[in-house]
Amino acid sequence: MENNKHEHITSYKEHFSTWLALILLTFMTVFVSVFGADLRTLSVATAMLIATIKATAVAYYFMHLKYEPKIYKAMMAVVLALFAFFMIMITIDYLTR
Amino acid sequence: MNHTFVLPNSGHNFDAKASKMGMWLFLYTELLLFGGLFLVYMVYRSMYPDEFLLASFNLNVWMGTFNTVILLTSSMTIAMSITALQKGNKKLSINLMWITIAAAIGFLVIKYFEWGAKFDHGLFPGMDHFNALPTGERLYFYLYFFMTGLHGLHVIIGGIFILFVISGVKKGTVTPERYSLSENAGLYWHLVDLIWIYLFPLFYLIH
Repeated sequence: MENNKHEHITSYKEHFSTWLALILLTFMTVFVSVFGADLRTLSVATAMLIATIKATAVAYYFMHLKYEPKIYKAMMAVVLALFAFFMIMITIDYLTR
Repeated sequence: MNHTFVLPNSGHNFDAKASKMGMWLFLYTELLLFGGLFLVYMVYRSMYPDEFLLASFNLNVWMGTFNTVILLTSSMTIAMSITALQKGNKKLSINLMWITIAAAIGFLVIKYFEWGAKFDHGLFPGMDHFNALPTGERLYFYLYFFMTGLHGLHVIIGGIFILFVISGVKKGTVTPERYSLSENAGLYWHLVDLIWIYLFPLFYLIH
């Protein structure tokens, strides 16, 4: 049972830095939305971009994905590819009706 | 290596890698569950952009922002509780898990007030005001209640999961050498946070 000894222990400081970045990004996305009301389509794209950066930070640092074996990232890629595939098919479907 | 068959939970057999892999597989299915709902949202929002915008004005951005901060903070405390457990500091680990549960309750209390305000305005599906709304706004509220409701259910389950970990640490079944349950509860809690990261801008921040 050597699997535990090589586990990476994330430091409190690293968790705190991740949290700080997430909070800053949250206020940024609220700011863009509340005060950037003229940039309608742009603000949707910005909001999704910021959300994706936040989600990546949560998965990478809080969920430890950064320190996991490659198989976890590969499976995540499969899930994301599957989701992208659904999204593209649905978009094509609705655009060609 | 000893290959004798031992019953799970009998205290003899333990496979941290398999536990974690199982949890991740489950989380991938959760992502696709919410992913499907986000696709429904995408289709209806592109069909009724103006009505979605109008309906979103019924939500309180600051309550949503506050809840986002609560969830992000609780994500940090649960992550730190695993670090504490791995370093052998059981007391700190348990305290951080209690903080996480307190945050979960705080999140639900705010959601209760938010939903309560919608009920008072007759905006829940089936109520008078709701029935009089145009199709696009009704779709927005259907999706809002279903998606935040499903997410809220995950918050409740996540909180209960963490309670089990606390009792495990106290009983000595979850230890610094054997922290899979704590790690999996953490993973589940982060997923709850992850979903909210997308729900928040999609429902509160349409402008």
